[in-house]
Amino acid sequence: MSAITKKRDWPTVLAAAWLIGLTILAFTADYLPFIRGYAESSPEGIGFSKGPFTSFLLGSDQLGRDVFARCIYGAQISLRIALFSIIIGTVVGGTLGMVAGFFGKASDRAISAFTDVMLAFPPIVIAILVTGRFDALRKNSEAFSWLSRTWSITFVLSILAIAPLARIVRAQTLSISQREFVLAARSLGARNGRVLVREILPNLVPAMVSVIFTGVAVLLIAEGGLAFLGYSIELPTPTWGRLIAENRNFIREAWWGTIMPCVMLFATVLSFNVLGDRIARRFDIREAAL
Amino acid sequence: MAGTGKAHLRSGDALLRVEDLVVEFPVGRTGLKVNAVSGISFDVMRGETLGIVGESGCGKSTTGRGIMQLPSPNSGAVVFNGQDLSQLTGSDMREARTKIQMIFQDPISSLNPRRKVRDIVKEPLDIWKRGTSAEQDARVDKVLEDVGIDPQRAAESQPHQFSGGQCQRISIARSLVLDPSLIICDEPVSALDVSVQAQVLNLLEDLKAAYGLTMIFIAHDLAVVKNISDRVAVMYLGKLCEVATSDDLYRRPAHHYTKVLLDSIPVPDPSRPVAHGRIEGEPPSPVLPPTGCRFHTRCPAASDRCRNEEPQMRDVGDNHFVACHHPAWGGDAPVSITR
Repeated sequence: MSAITKKRDWPTVLAAAWLIGLTILAFTADYLPFIRGYAESSPEGIGFSKGPFTSFLLGSDQLGRDVFARCIYGAQISLRIALFSIIIGTVVGGTLGMVAGFFGKASDRAISAFTDVMLAFPPIVIAILVTGRFDALRKNSEAFSWLSRTWSITFVLSILAIAPLARIVRAQTLSISQREFVLAARSLGARNGRVLVREILPNLVPAMVSVIFTGVAVLLIAEGGLAFLGYSIELPTPTWGRLIAENRNFIREAWWGTIMPCVMLFATVLSFNVLGDRIARRFDIREAAL
Repeated sequence: MAGTGKAHLRSGDALLRVEDLVVEFPVGRTGLKVNAVSGISFDVMRGETLGIVGESGCGKSTTGRGIMQLPSPNSGAVVFNGQDLSQLTGSDMREARTKIQMIFQDPISSLNPRRKVRDIVKEPLDIWKRGTSAEQDARVDKVLEDVGIDPQRAAESQPHQFSGGQCQRISIARSLVLDPSLIICDEPVSALDVSVQAQVLNLLEDLKAAYGLTMIFIAHDLAVVKNISDRVAVMYLGKLCEVATSDDLYRRPAHHYTKVLLDSIPVPDPSRPVAHGRIEGEPPSPVLPPTGCRFHTRCPAASDRCRNEEPQMRDVGDNHFVACHHPAWGGDAPVSITR
């Protein structure tokens, strides 16, 4: 063994393992024999009668349902919402930001005004207003019958994600488009589209990756907040936010009902942050040179 | 000094002729503007090297970019190969630009850090779809070898794996790939070590001969410009002061600003007394430039005339042109009745 054996980066390994494991569990939960149905109630567990590490891995809840199973199914919904909304937010916000930063002038003023307004609104108010509108839309119009609460919450969160992402991308684009390699590309006859895709976009990636990973974490918490306020998806489907909210009144008798989903949320948010940080550093090919 | 006029333009087959180039930048929304370049004219003959010197912020780089129409100048004509670039738009503009290429000051910033060096050099051919893939590869290999970069290494490395001097060679290679006729070197060596500077300058000289180039060489280092240029133009605060052949300009500067500039070249000899004729203060703001001659606020020979009347470029003999009412030699400018 040489003296320079590579030291294992345990936080990253743990974070990746947690996220991968959780995702696999969440999306194969229907087929795994050891995970009960999220709505399946067992008589022996009614009234929080079973604590953690009994026949119920993380205890049972008021209705005798398995907290572990509900956490896993909750992860499925929470992760899906967070991932989809960060994707929509990044594509829309990133495009707006690149247009504002690259073309400037009127487009920049319009987009900056829009992001400033969005950032000035209290996010919870926007979320409540928009989910309410989406509910009305679904009820009144045949064309929007697909707009379940899962989708409406996804859209709400992506709307909230657009403004901060657009702002970061705009600032980055502004600074990159002042660099001489962009001028060089222009002098070689490259069109705007080519400059944006070949010269600017690759240089946006590293900053974006870390923003996206922290963004997922923020959105997970935001979804929890919405669920806590009652703006969550249809009963009885669990999300982490709902689990925390619905069991919190019994925290003295049965702490596991609230704390276990909190721990899951905490570990997941932390893992996304650790990974985002690590990936950003991996991408950093001598940032000083950029 | 620091005047307008076109007396120094030559008749004949100039590759590039710039007339009354004006570049201004707005200052926020104040309605004020930075007068970066205020009506300068010059021409460059085929195969010639024109040096443009002046202190930081005098508009040298802006002039270079104005020629490329990046950004487009506010007014003035840039006639390249008989074609006025300022009148072109869209794809004609993009096409015409390929015949003029720039080399920038910061070798690292001028290369996209996330692409392979070979792709960077190949990019121009890719944009214009010149030749087959094999022809493109052959061209890239040849140019890379000409500038002294191993094509094999370029294929697998990114810019940050090369030194500053090598990056500048890569920039040069990229600018040569499309076979331009004019290269604008915007302080190409000021970010490099002295030993590397010499290598890059020699390379530029060699390539100039090999590729039949015409060059505009922008720099603030007078010693560098002297060696590489055939003709030198001195700029101050967005105006031209003096234009002359390189040897003539250095031997007997007529403009007081040129004189001071040359005197300020440091001599590596501690026993030599500090040169005379130093000037005090900073250049005035290009937002509110002085009236008359722009140099009158710091000029040792300034008179009332300099404060009110802008000097015009005039011949003081032997193709030596100066924009000054009271030059160091060649006699005062005749007072024109019309002004």
